[in-house]
Amino acid sequence: MSSRKTSLTDKQTKNGTSKYVLERCASINEYYDIAFKVMLLGDSAVGKTCVLVRFKDGAFLGGNFIATVGIDFRNKVVDVDNLKVKLQIWDTAGQERFRSVTHAYYRDAQALLLLYDITSKPSFDNIRAWLTEIHEYAQKDVVIMLLGNKADMAAERVVKTEEGEKLAKEYGVPFMETSAKTGVNVELAFHAIARELKHRATQQPNDPKFQIHDYIESQKQKSGCCSLV
Amino acid sequence: MDGEGQRATVAWETGTLAPVDRLRTERADSPTPGLVEGTEPGAGGKSAMFVHAQSFEDLTAEAEEEALRGAELDKSEEDCTEELKALEEQHNNDFSSDGRAKEEDVSSEAWRSHRKHVFVLSEAGKPIYTRYGTEEALSSTMGVMMALVSFVEAEKNIIRSIHADGCKVVFLTKSPLVLVGVSRTCQSDRELLRELQYIYYQIVSLLTLTQLNHIFQHKQNYDLRRLLAGSEYLTDNLLRRLDRDPGLLLSAVTCLPLASSARDVVSSSLQAAKAKSLVFSILLAGDRLVTLVRKKDQVLHHMDLHLVFNLVGSSSSFREGEGWTPICLPKFNTAGFFHAHISYLEPASELCLILVSTDREDFFNMSDCKRRFLERLSKRSAYQTLKDALKCPSYSVAQVGIPELRHFLYKSKSSGLYTSPEFPVVYESDEEQERLMGLYQDLHSCLHHPTRPLRSFYRCSETENLLAWVTSGFELYLCFSPLATKALAVSAVNKLLKWIRKEEDRLFILSPLTY
Repeated sequence: MSSRKTSLTDKQTKNGTSKYVLERCASINEYYDIAFKVMLLGDSAVGKTCVLVRFKDGAFLGGNFIATVGIDFRNKVVDVDNLKVKLQIWDTAGQERFRSVTHAYYRDAQALLLLYDITSKPSFDNIRAWLTEIHEYAQKDVVIMLLGNKADMAAERVVKTEEGEKLAKEYGVPFMETSAKTGVNVELAFHAIARELKHRATQQPNDPKFQIHDYIESQKQKSGCCSLV
Repeated sequence: MDGEGQRATVAWETGTLAPVDRLRTERADSPTPGLVEGTEPGAGGKSAMFVHAQSFEDLTAEAEEEALRGAELDKSEEDCTEELKALEEQHNNDFSSDGRAKEEDVSSEAWRSHRKHVFVLSEAGKPIYTRYGTEEALSSTMGVMMALVSFVEAEKNIIRSIHADGCKVVFLTKSPLVLVGVSRTCQSDRELLRELQYIYYQIVSLLTLTQLNHIFQHKQNYDLRRLLAGSEYLTDNLLRRLDRDPGLLLSAVTCLPLASSARDVVSSSLQAAKAKSLVFSILLAGDRLVTLVRKKDQVLHHMDLHLVFNLVGSSSSFREGEGWTPICLPKFNTAGFFHAHISYLEPASELCLILVSTDREDFFNMSDCKRRFLERLSKRSAYQTLKDALKCPSYSVAQVGIPELRHFLYKSKSSGLYTSPEFPVVYESDEEQERLMGLYQDLHSCLHHPTRPLRSFYRCSETENLLAWVTSGFELYLCFSPLATKALAVSAVNKLLKWIRKEEDRLFILSPLTY
């Protein structure tokens, strides 16, 4: 299929084969079959690091806000249909002064999780600006997902779920509301991404396309208020 | 501070106590205070690791030159009390603002009575940073500060300080920024100015001077807080360090005590993990340097190193994963960014590796350097020695074996490194530690007085006796119990130098490496 770059193994990238041969790759601690780069984007303090920590360690970073400095790189291996998928996750600083660093790493990313804070209108309004930036710097076929975070803070909500849905529809990207605090939909967001990327990488010409929207809708309903495994 | 009245001070203008004529060229076992620079205990091998000698002066010289360029103007009390009153009235008129953690009522007595305030503003008078309270609430106060600066400037003069009502107000104009310190401590203007310089460079390290100039050339009334968002804690933390960290006072850094054989293995493993654009590899254990490997011919200024320490120490965001951030090292180059790969060797470890590269796109190369370093290091027994050394990152002053000696600071000038034992029980509390630091600061400003520098200084007070001594090779500050005598203090110097010489390969980095 496509000649899209994925970071399988060095060998493959070098000889540029279009056929993906899955090899067991040994990193220092963990085995994986296939690796993808995912980036978390969004305004400062929307909860990017918290969502990542919830996904990676199942914990919630309560207490004081700690701004991410520059970008922060972490790995997590997830299982997709018995395949070990390694997500290499870039957690970025939301502050303006780090924009130039994050831009430099956009094009490496195969998936972008774009976050806003449902209790902050400006963070939602800035989503359009973020999408413009994404179109400028990221790969054309990058997987984008819009997340409205802090869904647990119902009392302070200023962005309606429908507003998020509408915006997502306009740009044709999947959308869900998440909470790093309770864990709602956090696993799902990353798993959907992993599934989509895995599907793209291993897809045979005749295989049906993976429907990320449908997958999310089906899982979202099932999960209700607690996260998936 | 201790009672001014009871202090008996003796100062020797000439080093009569030290056998100056007996200069030694070799590393003596019993070093004398008259040693020349480069042979004092702790002096590095062929090449020093940092910019050395006169680093303190180096830091303050610029500001002084600037100040001298205009006619000397030390505004005295009469001139300025009026303006200061205006400034204080202004405080009252300010209304407090919304809910931030830093929130504090700037019209309150509590806000005013803070020991040391620091304000940063743009030349248009826009607030950029305040140590206490919020910038919004202080915009008119900062406007007044700017008015003072401009008023004096209009007469082709430069405002340096205002002394009034037990308060020192120190101004540092570093276009396009203006920094103002308001202090109730007994630090000299020069010391306060030095602290403002640190804050200035902290801001430059986040943005580069080029970017700063560019921004304000295009838009004079730009709100710089937009670009500095999320970095306030770095400045807050740096100010805390300035009150507590002897390294910032001495313009030096301290090392993790480690057997030289183990340190050499760590250094050479780091040296082997090199890459084309790698300029500095720094391994830290908390606030202590384990080793530093640098590109040939490139030196890292202690101040840049302290800014790196501050960045790493202030943020838990590097605790997991691998951080990658632009950083300007202003003493190296104010115009451009380096890019630093920052990560801890193990999740719960104190050991933090900082790889400084010139290339923005070098993350994966640096990540690979770290992997190679770790691989190499884990194969060697030195790694275990290093981990064991982390368990006792300091030493007790009792090891030195000098009666009545409570604490000391020793800086080797040629290596830019210092050593100091842990604080004894008497100075266990934060207040006591800061008080002792205050005493050291005081001695330091006497030794480095711009017009009448002292070579040695002995001071008795009710709570402790202090001796400070500076030679071309080292700076030494000793703290004794009040029972100690001057004779004992003087004889302690030789004994201490001998002990440091004996321990120097553990306490210092004697053979710094380059790629």
